[in-house]
Amino acid sequence: MRALASLGLGGLLLAGTALADEPAVGDPVAGKKIAGQCRTCHGIDGYAKIPIAPHIGGEQASYLRNQLTAFRDGTRTHEMMSVVAKMLTDQQIADVAAWYSSHSATATLTADASGAPEACTACHGVDGIAVIEGAPNLAGETNIYIDTQLKAFRLGKRTHEVMSAVAADMTDAEIRAVADWYGSVKLEITMAN
Amino acid sequence: MKKLVLSVAASALMTASALAQSANVPSNLEKLSGFQTTGVTEFTFIEQSGDYADGIKKTLERITLPDGFKIELYAVVPDARHMAVGPQGIVTIVGTRKDKVWSVTDRNKDRVADEVKDFAPSLTFSIPNGPCFSKDGFLYIAEQNRVLLFPAAEFFYESPDVAAFNLVAQGELIPPEHESFNHTARVCKLGPDGKIYISLGQPFNVAPAENLDEYAKWGIGGMIRMNTDGTGREVYTYGIRNSVGHDFHPETGELWFTDNQVDGMGDDIPPGELNHQTAMGQNFGHPWYGGGSVRTNEYAGQEVPVEVVMPAVEAVAHAADLGMTFYTGNQFPAEYKNAIFSAQHGSWNRTTPVGARVMVTTIDADGNATMKPFAEGWIDENGEYLGRPVDIAQLRDGSILVSDDLAGALYRISYSK
Repeated sequence: MRALASLGLGGLLLAGTALADEPAVGDPVAGKKIAGQCRTCHGIDGYAKIPIAPHIGGEQASYLRNQLTAFRDGTRTHEMMSVVAKMLTDQQIADVAAWYSSHSATATLTADASGAPEACTACHGVDGIAVIEGAPNLAGETNIYIDTQLKAFRLGKRTHEVMSAVAADMTDAEIRAVADWYGSVKLEITMAN
Repeated sequence: MKKLVLSVAASALMTASALAQSANVPSNLEKLSGFQTTGVTEFTFIEQSGDYADGIKKTLERITLPDGFKIELYAVVPDARHMAVGPQGIVTIVGTRKDKVWSVTDRNKDRVADEVKDFAPSLTFSIPNGPCFSKDGFLYIAEQNRVLLFPAAEFFYESPDVAAFNLVAQGELIPPEHESFNHTARVCKLGPDGKIYISLGQPFNVAPAENLDEYAKWGIGGMIRMNTDGTGREVYTYGIRNSVGHDFHPETGELWFTDNQVDGMGDDIPPGELNHQTAMGQNFGHPWYGGGSVRTNEYAGQEVPVEVVMPAVEAVAHAADLGMTFYTGNQFPAEYKNAIFSAQHGSWNRTTPVGARVMVTTIDADGNATMKPFAEGWIDENGEYLGRPVDIAQLRDGSILVSDDLAGALYRISYSK
């Protein structure tokens, strides 16, 4: 567990460096228009409408930007997201990230906090609201979504300086337990306006 | 009645024990295979009335159907995907793309479900999208990477501990490294030959060339069949992108299936597909074709190395044709006899959304198929989905059920003159 916590710090430093790249400044109003392509799956407020899609309302803009860029560049792949992201410019990515990050996400535990997975909470919080820059919220995601992502990190289909190492030694049962924990959290998203 | 059910259960038990010996069963499944209790005694029940149900009923007022047909709320079922109606007509089992399977019961037979509760709550499911029943009451559930078998499920489902066995153990349906979330919503149906047919979507938008040999070996991007004891697995269909609905013609016994086609080529191409298979081993064209006769950009100009069967029906592009069933009931007018009822889930990134409706396909004496809308109105004037149909199943009285995973509901469509 201690090793994982120090990995978390490494992630923090790396995420900080990535931010120094001076990304385009996002405009949430322009982003709302782009979100018309996202809403069938992710909802216009970022509360997902289908189990395979993560909730993205109230997510950090940097996380959304990084993922959309990764889908566009092919470093992360998904049969739907790779298609959508391919058509987006840096500015459009910044805009749509600004739209979804302008909302606020609130998490409520449905079980005792002592059940939270220790290996994850330093970055993703006990309730699945990220506590460091660059980490996604996990609160209320479909457990199978989290399960799928952890297995993708374990297999190397998805890579991340921290998560690849965290997932490498997890068993299927451990992955499912983590997924079930964050999946059980109740998530509410409040739209910016 | 009771005696009959018990003897069915008992013979099921014997068959199932034989299966259990050869299967590599997980912990809870091991207990259930041995008919022990797991200690899980609580069901989750879904409220069937109130504001939520009223909201769905309001949506249904705007759905249009041919004269004489009506659509009503049958049950509130969260995340409802594919359905299997029990052969005795007692229970309808409904899969999800999450971790629950629901049992839906209309106890007083007023054609509205009275009770919706989770099926086998002590088991850990992963994308249990596809339930199917055999005629003798065995329930199969095709998951992401496992197929479970529940003998006499219509009898046992009333208890949280349902006798359960592996038909295909975890990780043996496909190699785990090829698991995905989106294209692993499996569908199963029992064929007229008594074998179970399971669709295996391939996980990409367009399957990459380097994976094709392994996919063909496993039947990924295809359909497999096997005996109901898990033996004799073989690939029945090739060249599918992601099929999420199939059924067998009531008279010819031939397989028909829908297939979802390639994204990112534009709003109006490639067409969706309803396919008709006439022999084992036929290839339906993916990844060389993106849908119909439209070639994929990834394989443009390449010679197609297989003989390809073109679709029986080209459906509107991106409408996402999913679950389907042949109509064999007596309630609907004669023109619907042996017609295919199918669901279009609706497009996800098309500029103007299309689909979200129930289609009907009639097949003439020469085998020509024609598809047209049957029930529609789930897309409102702002282009927002009010519901997204997934699957169609027939009840014993000849009415049909439609599942909807956005609203989380089953609808019943019935006919009276």
